[in-house]
Amino acid sequence: MRSIIKISFLFILLTNISACNKFLDKLDNPNLVQDPPLDGLLATVTFKTGTNVYSLGDVTSYYTQYLASNSSGSDADIYNEVDYSTTWTNFYTAMSNLKQLADKAAVQNSPHHQGIAKILLGFNINLLTNTFGDVPYSQALEGLNLLVPAFDDQATLYTTSLNLLDEGIADLEKDGNGFEIDSRSDLIHHGDTDAWIKTAYALKARYLNQVSKSAEYSTTEILAALDKAYTSNDDDAMLTAFEGLSPWNEAAVNNANLNLDGWLSTQFVDALNGTTFGVMDPRLPRIASITKFGDYRGTPNGEGRIGSGTNEEESYLSLDGFYSAAGAPLLMITNAETEFIRAEASFRNDDLPGAYAAYIAGITAHMTKLGVAESDMDAYLANPAVGVGASNITLDLIFKEKYVVMFLNPEAWVDARRFDYKYKDFELPTGASLDDFIRRLAYPSVETSRNGANVPEVNSLKERLRFDE
Amino acid sequence: MSFYPKMHGGLAAGIYIARTFHHQVNDRKMKLFFMRVMTLAFLLTLNCVLLAAGTSGQDLSQTRLSIDLRDVSLKTALKRIEGSTSYSFSFRTADISSAGRVSLSAKDISLEKLLSELFSSAGLSYEVINSNIIIKKNRPSIGVESENILDNGGIKGRVVDDKGQAVVNASVLIMETKIGTAADDNGRFSFTGIAPGTYRLQISAIGYLTLTKSVVVSSNQITDANMALQADATTNMTEITVTALGIKKERRELGYSAQEVKGDALVASHQSNIVNALQGQATGLQINSGGGAPGQGAKILLRGINSLDPNRDFQPLFVIDGVPIDNATSTDDGSELLSVGNRASDINPDDIESVNILKGGAATALYGLRAATGAIIITTKSGKAGKLRVQCTSTGSIDEINKYPETQGVYTQGNLGVYDSSSFWPGFGPTIAEAKAIDPTHPDKLFNNFKHGYKQGKSIRNSLNISGGNERATFTAAFSQFNQDGIMPFTDYRNYSAKVGGDFKISEKLRFGTSLNYIKSGGRRQNADRYNENLTYFAPRWDIWDYIKPDGSQKTIVGSDNWNPIYILYGTHYVDDVDRIISNSNITYSPFKWLDVSYRFGIDHYNDSRILTKPGPLGVPDELYSLGDFENGVMNVYNATNTVLNSTFMLNFKNSLGTHLKSSLKIGHDLYKTKKNYQYTDGDTLIVPTFYSLSNVKRTTGRSYTRDYRIIGLFADWTLSWDNFLYLTLTGRNDITSTLRKENRSFFYPSASISYVFSENFNLPSWMTFGKVRFSVAGIGKDAVPYATAKGFQIGSPLTNNVSPFNLSDQIGDTNLIAEFTTSYEAGFELRFLQNRLGLDFTYYNNTSKDLLIPVKVPVTSGYDQIYLNSGSIRNKGLEISVSGTPVQTKDFSWDIRVNYTKNVNKVLSIYPDLKEITMGSQFGYSSSTVTQKYIPGYPVGALFGRNYERYYGDKEENPEVLEKDLPIVIGANGFPVLNPASKQQYIANSQPKWIGSFSSTLRYKNFNLYFLFDAQQGVYRFNQFANFLASFALQKDAEHRNDIVVFPGVLEDGTPNTKPVWLGQGTGPDGVDYGSAGYYRAYYRAASENFVEDASWVRLRTLSLGYSVPVALVQKTKILQGASITFSGNNLWLSTKYSTFDPESSSTNSGSVSDGFAGFTYPATRNYILSVNLNF
Repeated sequence: MRSIIKISFLFILLTNISACNKFLDKLDNPNLVQDPPLDGLLATVTFKTGTNVYSLGDVTSYYTQYLASNSSGSDADIYNEVDYSTTWTNFYTAMSNLKQLADKAAVQNSPHHQGIAKILLGFNINLLTNTFGDVPYSQALEGLNLLVPAFDDQATLYTTSLNLLDEGIADLEKDGNGFEIDSRSDLIHHGDTDAWIKTAYALKARYLNQVSKSAEYSTTEILAALDKAYTSNDDDAMLTAFEGLSPWNEAAVNNANLNLDGWLSTQFVDALNGTTFGVMDPRLPRIASITKFGDYRGTPNGEGRIGSGTNEEESYLSLDGFYSAAGAPLLMITNAETEFIRAEASFRNDDLPGAYAAYIAGITAHMTKLGVAESDMDAYLANPAVGVGASNITLDLIFKEKYVVMFLNPEAWVDARRFDYKYKDFELPTGASLDDFIRRLAYPSVETSRNGANVPEVNSLKERLRFDE
Repeated sequence: MSFYPKMHGGLAAGIYIARTFHHQVNDRKMKLFFMRVMTLAFLLTLNCVLLAAGTSGQDLSQTRLSIDLRDVSLKTALKRIEGSTSYSFSFRTADISSAGRVSLSAKDISLEKLLSELFSSAGLSYEVINSNIIIKKNRPSIGVESENILDNGGIKGRVVDDKGQAVVNASVLIMETKIGTAADDNGRFSFTGIAPGTYRLQISAIGYLTLTKSVVVSSNQITDANMALQADATTNMTEITVTALGIKKERRELGYSAQEVKGDALVASHQSNIVNALQGQATGLQINSGGGAPGQGAKILLRGINSLDPNRDFQPLFVIDGVPIDNATSTDDGSELLSVGNRASDINPDDIESVNILKGGAATALYGLRAATGAIIITTKSGKAGKLRVQCTSTGSIDEINKYPETQGVYTQGNLGVYDSSSFWPGFGPTIAEAKAIDPTHPDKLFNNFKHGYKQGKSIRNSLNISGGNERATFTAAFSQFNQDGIMPFTDYRNYSAKVGGDFKISEKLRFGTSLNYIKSGGRRQNADRYNENLTYFAPRWDIWDYIKPDGSQKTIVGSDNWNPIYILYGTHYVDDVDRIISNSNITYSPFKWLDVSYRFGIDHYNDSRILTKPGPLGVPDELYSLGDFENGVMNVYNATNTVLNSTFMLNFKNSLGTHLKSSLKIGHDLYKTKKNYQYTDGDTLIVPTFYSLSNVKRTTGRSYTRDYRIIGLFADWTLSWDNFLYLTLTGRNDITSTLRKENRSFFYPSASISYVFSENFNLPSWMTFGKVRFSVAGIGKDAVPYATAKGFQIGSPLTNNVSPFNLSDQIGDTNLIAEFTTSYEAGFELRFLQNRLGLDFTYYNNTSKDLLIPVKVPVTSGYDQIYLNSGSIRNKGLEISVSGTPVQTKDFSWDIRVNYTKNVNKVLSIYPDLKEITMGSQFGYSSSTVTQKYIPGYPVGALFGRNYERYYGDKEENPEVLEKDLPIVIGANGFPVLNPASKQQYIANSQPKWIGSFSSTLRYKNFNLYFLFDAQQGVYRFNQFANFLASFALQKDAEHRNDIVVFPGVLEDGTPNTKPVWLGQGTGPDGVDYGSAGYYRAYYRAASENFVEDASWVRLRTLSLGYSVPVALVQKTKILQGASITFSGNNLWLSTKYSTFDPESSSTNSGSVSDGFAGFTYPATRNYILSVNLNF
């Protein structure tokens, strides 16, 4: 009997002392990878950053009146506060992974991975601050160390985004230290570091051009940056790999399946179908679907559809259009855009021939990109409303044509605000809840509910952001 | 043997604990002290074990010992002897104290000799019963010459119950001599040295009526006196209740509330899911059935929500025959809306003997953290010695939808009042008459799709139970087969179960039991949420049952682009198939009367295989293919295995410490290991449209998952009882979990409970039969979910260029997490009156949980979405009252009633300091009427928030967080109510019931048995998404008023009453005003959440059953049958609720989810008509 009891207790003791530790060491999640390859993270950050262009473009395109909602009085159309929590979260998710990549690349000493990470960080920050104003960055992405980060002011964020580009360029110009950028995992430039450097300069030009209303605006710096940026459409930064359908294609497919989406605004359609400018833009058939009436018709922002929405009485993103066909790329920054930055900077520098040449080059680049037939392109450029000649080039014309080039891109809203929405016939949406054009977004509930104490107050969506003042 | 004097210290210490517990639950010193007390008790007992280890046997002459007594009292001498032998003494102190002091020194003396030395001069004699030596004073009485031993006789006998089973420990008293003894394990007793004469023998035992019988004793003869006791039917105060770890305790011992539900009560409703069968059967129990889907899950909540992790299963631990089983509702494959079952639904309800519901901390303390939300202890039927018994039960049921929404029957398909037979809009057209003028094929009446879309369901269950055995071995076998067709088209469920088990008594000291249960369950499940949504869109002018063309493709409303809901069901196959084995083995070794060593090992293993298929486009002419539902053809395969191993080793020390005090100490070790693995393969785009194979898909993506979770527990339970009226139980458990880091993973929590049966002490009035008060305090720790503290990177699905991205998991845990801790206090009393004809059980409890482990939604700007933190606290308090009575009891007729009442109030006390709210769940509503369930300090956990109409406050100060429903609505200049901005989310109502109650009654008349159960949940609010959708399409009954002109009650911005008449329709009204294309219902009504957070309270006739047992005399004429009965019953025969759509009891969240604020597009509940036949052979 004694022995049974002894054995029993020995058993308890043993299980708890020796075997116990091993038995219970199950803290690590076997479903998570602890040390992912740098290229594995690179795939994520290039993908997520590219997708953010869609995510934000799907917001701003209603304000730039590329798109219009099919239902009347839709909040996005009429400037009601909309909760853009998902978009906000997408940006910080991308940035969180970018920080992981930058940190890991620093530890492993891969300057090229680090350089790409910094450029893309700058890219995300710039889009965010031009949409929401002050946003967290210097205290952000610290995890458990700082759960509720403070917001940085816009001036700091603007400088940060420029500095990150410079640092990224410097990193990319370094020796790769034996690390190759995996061409398949780099979803934007496929391992081409020179292309990344060009993109960094293109972005630098874009950012420097954003402050056109301010004293710090410098055409010299812009032109200098452009000289190191894109030279052809082949240089364009764009995303071509997706989780399933390409996002704008998905909108078109959804629409075809009656989950109404991707409806074009009257403002945009009229600008291209001859209504506003008297010239039919050959890019329109490459973008929009034809109505049952055999023409192109937009939907006025705020008014919604005419019929049941299923009878093709309006134009939608076309299922085989450049922007919305299966596998359509998501454009981040393009050669066409940099030409228009050059046109604007040259114009502001009083270099009218330079401005005009860049204006024509920009249109040509975009039409080429969209696959417009050469004859159509020539006819368009020959139209007196377009081919005005160097002496007649105006800022209005540059902004008008850039508006088409920037279709669906969130940067178009920066342009619209810099241009004070002076596009021809651009009007407040029907039933607008503001008495003037929208200038910024409100902070989303995902931040106000979780980080309420730090979120700055927004009095009105008419409030101008720093670059717009 | 006894350690009586030291025990006093122990008892006092225990009481001290109970008194000071309140302040010191978490104090380390306290824990240390508590552990010391436990250790002391343990050591004392152990000491005795070792000392006694050498002796055994009955014969005093064979028991030898050495002893050295110097001038000690006889009592001390006896103690010393007890300490050296396995015998214990029973005596009256008065008899002993008259003996003088003794001195005696002897080596290797026999006990027999020693005792005669000690007793000879003291005028004492003794007798030996088992290992008890009963000391008696020799006294001449009733004229018997005590010296004349030779002439004396004796009595021996056996005490049995009415079934012939031994009544162990029955007390037997010769009333004339006051000599008493106790029956042994076989019910045997004996007296010797009784003078000839006639004596009255009084036999009493707990739970039996006391029997008095005359016995004649003749000289030199042992008289046989066998006694059969009658069970005391009117009292259940000695009911044995199965408590934690299978420990059987007398009800009167329990210092906490515990309710037992007998198998008969569960079977009355013939529910296939044991959880549903518990409805209304006990207090403190909140059950929400998922709906009426075949094999559908149901969720159960004991005493409210005491934890705040919205993703964690809050359901109590399910234990079958001592083995914890898995009761998860697995939705890893994205089947949240597919009405998959909770795993307890696998259990064959016909095999259940009883269910015990352990609610409070003290009740569940021994199970440790796994039972932090309570425990459901299921005991299945076990074999009984005797002849072979065969029980056969067949049950058939017919099911129908019990409640569906009334829809408008006036307006037909079209928009803006214009008829269009291909319109997307099901009900914005003109009246039927107007439509008929245009389209003569239009039917005279519209269908109610929510009635028409459901059919009659049916189910059949056959079960067979066989049991038998002898005193050495008993066995049981149970088989059941269950098949069900659901009321929703193309849903079914089946369950096959086979169980064998046996208990073996290898020797008097060694017992062994084992059982093995194999279950195969599963069925075809459908997304009721999507189905009801599709039914909403489908114009009720058309017949949904006309859903398929001869070529197999879909038939639907051409041009409407609405899909036929039934065809979608027809095409979608989601079938789960579970193979499960639950096995349990236990062995008990009882080397001594006072010690049981037991070991139990249980395993619950299942494989859950699920396949989802949807057809690709058939490619036939004019095919209408629902791309949104069928996605070009799908083949998804999910395979999960889950294993739960449980090992429990326990030592049970039972001691009688003298005549009054008894001690029972249990010390044990518990090991729990669970592992889940699953693989999920997602195949999209079928090449051949209806060939379902993973090799027939264009792309497959896969993922796998592993979860390993382990707990080691050490526990002790020390119950002390003083006579039959005062009980103290102290428990302590230390858990070591695998989910917290090393420094924090071991945690201790104690409990103390006292039960005092005061009716044993006081002379109560004759109408009061029984009275008991109880009090308990307990701590319960709870660990984190597995991998809560882990961080790392996930691998995403491959992108279209076949690259797999790695991304940082947006969930992370504080690595310093500690266990959350709940302190619960419970007090109650139990009273019985009028010979147990009326009983009252009252419980009050107050549970406070702190350091709650919550996956806190943090600012995404921190880089993470969710961080697992110790954050927040919550309090639950409540009342549980149960009244039972037997108003009539005669030979032929009896009437029993029971009323249960439960009230639980909870409140979120705090959450993580930097956060304002924690979102628990939300459900979409049109036009920003989405309703969200949130945790906000000061609000109950079921707080529902949404968008409302603006209210006029006047001079009253506005609290923007709360809707003040009674204030007048602000009406705009256009005559319509003004909506708050969507961002203004206000508290509307609480989804947790104010109270839950039930009333049940059984009436028996001769062979007839009538049972009914009404139950109610009151003060429950739910967001009715279904109603929100109906309103969006103007399908609700109320939409028949759409052409009315009304003046909305309310005031204008300036507070003056609104007087403006407006038209509710679309377009230009009869007053010439253009009201827009939306109309009132779409533009205003559907956008206010308050219109859809409906009162979901209900009262229902849960079960009504009428049974008839064929008279035994008649049955036995068959020579084969022993008994036969037939039962007609019905469930949900009557329902009273204000809720506008389906039965609000069904919930749109799966049974594993805790958010209960949403009941909309659910699988509707059913009304069942059941016939059951039971035959016993």
